[in-house]
Amino acid sequence: MTPGIDQGVGDAGEPIAEHRSRARATVDTVLRNRLAVAGLIVLALLVLAAILGPTIAPYDINDINVADRLTGPSTAHWFGTDELGRDVFSRVLIGARVSLLVGFIAVGIALIVGVPIGLVSGFYGGAADSWLMRMMDILFALPAILLAIAILAVLGPGIVNAMIAIGIVYTPIFARITRGSVLTIKESVFVRAARSLGATDGRILRTHILPNVTAPITVQASLSLAFAILAEAALSFLGLGVQPPAPAWGRMLSEGRGFFEQAPWMAIFPGVAIVITVMAFNFVGDGLRDALDPQQRSVIESRGAE
Amino acid sequence: MTEQVLSVDDLTVSFGTRLGRARVVNGFSYDVAEGETVAIVGESGSGKSVSSLALLQLLPVPPARVEGKALFRGDDLLTMSDAEIRRIRGNRIAMIFQDPMTSLNPVRTIGYQLIEPLAMHMGLDDRAARARAAELLEIVGIPSPGDRLDDYPHQFSGGMRQRVMIAMGIACNPDLLIADEATTALDVTTQAQILEEISRLQEYMGLAVIWITHDLGVVAGIADRVVVLYGGSIMEEAPIDDLFAQRLHPYTRALLASLPKPGLDRPRRLEAIPGLPPNPVRLPPGCPFAPRCTHAVERCFSEKPELRNPESSHRVACHFDAGELYG
Repeated sequence: MTPGIDQGVGDAGEPIAEHRSRARATVDTVLRNRLAVAGLIVLALLVLAAILGPTIAPYDINDINVADRLTGPSTAHWFGTDELGRDVFSRVLIGARVSLLVGFIAVGIALIVGVPIGLVSGFYGGAADSWLMRMMDILFALPAILLAIAILAVLGPGIVNAMIAIGIVYTPIFARITRGSVLTIKESVFVRAARSLGATDGRILRTHILPNVTAPITVQASLSLAFAILAEAALSFLGLGVQPPAPAWGRMLSEGRGFFEQAPWMAIFPGVAIVITVMAFNFVGDGLRDALDPQQRSVIESRGAE
Repeated sequence: MTEQVLSVDDLTVSFGTRLGRARVVNGFSYDVAEGETVAIVGESGSGKSVSSLALLQLLPVPPARVEGKALFRGDDLLTMSDAEIRRIRGNRIAMIFQDPMTSLNPVRTIGYQLIEPLAMHMGLDDRAARARAAELLEIVGIPSPGDRLDDYPHQFSGGMRQRVMIAMGIACNPDLLIADEATTALDVTTQAQILEEISRLQEYMGLAVIWITHDLGVVAGIADRVVVLYGGSIMEEAPIDDLFAQRLHPYTRALLASLPKPGLDRPRRLEAIPGLPPNPVRLPPGCPFAPRCTHAVERCFSEKPELRNPESSHRVACHFDAGELYG
């Protein structure tokens, strides 16, 4: 593959007729990736389900109907009913809301805390860098779920605390990725040039470094969403996340466990929902990486050509 | 004599390394007058770039140690506070770097990057800054400048990017422009255009220029005065015509002898200077060039020659007179 093909369009210096911005090129590359498009469609449906959930759900999530309990999938109950006769389809639909909300907010927390830590650490180096990164290493050294459980043990169970716990667990990833990219970018000639033009540290970080490190951060954020949703499911499964009677996929899975032989649909459908959501985020993340990270991309393309 | 813009006195820069203190610039003194072009010439590692980065306090100061004085219009650049030196950078003294391909931020438009120094130093509002940015692109010879402000660096060729860098450099009407190997990465025709552009700007704005290069051909084209640097010390300093007419220092002679000479009947081997530049961690006590000098005698290894003839404009740091050496 020709390395310059992407940025080399207008390199001859003649004004090029077609103005192709970076964002546009990224979108094009993502849209050419079929898995990423599939992921995007699934995510769009999920977001729609999360927003419209209560209006399109055929039953109320807490509609108890003991007469119809543990019935299999039918036209009345697409995904069957649980031990209290509640409609599993409605509960899975509403569960999307919790999963996405926890995922986005947790990753948001990790971004807001992790990226500035990485920026400061990478840009200033020295003692600040050592302290911040050693703290991140400590967090990173503990298994993610275990750490989240420990944090919830301190904060107490609940959906808000689950978001905070998952956010803390994923902070070091963003700090590290940001720091690594900053270390490369801060040595660029344009950073030196900006400084020689009288820019302050804050301005250099904001206008020159941050925009150049967004690509790996974006990719990591989309992949982290998948992990965050999985983590939320695990925490809810353990009873530390969403509290009853609100439906969450992880909790539905754990409730369904007891009835697995009589009513497998109780566990299967929330399980499938988790798998599909996580895979969708992964596909989108991979697609973004192909578009935003040229080195990784060339590896992937050369593999595809074999 | 015209007024001095910059007066560097006994500039010494060293870096702490694991192997000891690397003395990269050793007592470097020179002046730059208004509207003058001074070329600082030397091999890689002669300290020419480091000495200019030191002027603007652009060296990372824990490993680096900068001593001496650098008076810019009477104020010492080296003792200024962060805020003070920031007001000088890009505003009164601008710098252009070697590699035009990487000196521009790839994710920001040309217009944005041109507007940045204008907003920082001159407090222009968006509209005024944009108008000025277009004017600057026009000054450095970029066609249809208004339309190109929203283009990204990758849509410009190397030569055009270097023109943009120059435009950024002169944006705030500086008194002094430091061009650090500014044309080295460009092909010769582009290089000639850029040199011409800078001479034109110089006349038009009364700009003083420090031109850092290893290319004596470039020096011949634009410089008023040449400072030959070796091992962080001045070997020879002279007005350009004097230097090409009469090279006093063996290093300068060797440097010029190593240039290809066009117009000879037969291609000849280039005369490289044998040996390597001195290791800044273990600088010889005598003349830094002595180990590679064909004329060196014992005294050259033990005693560092002072710059002589300081009263005239042609100065040289050698124990010998040219007459003694070259007959």
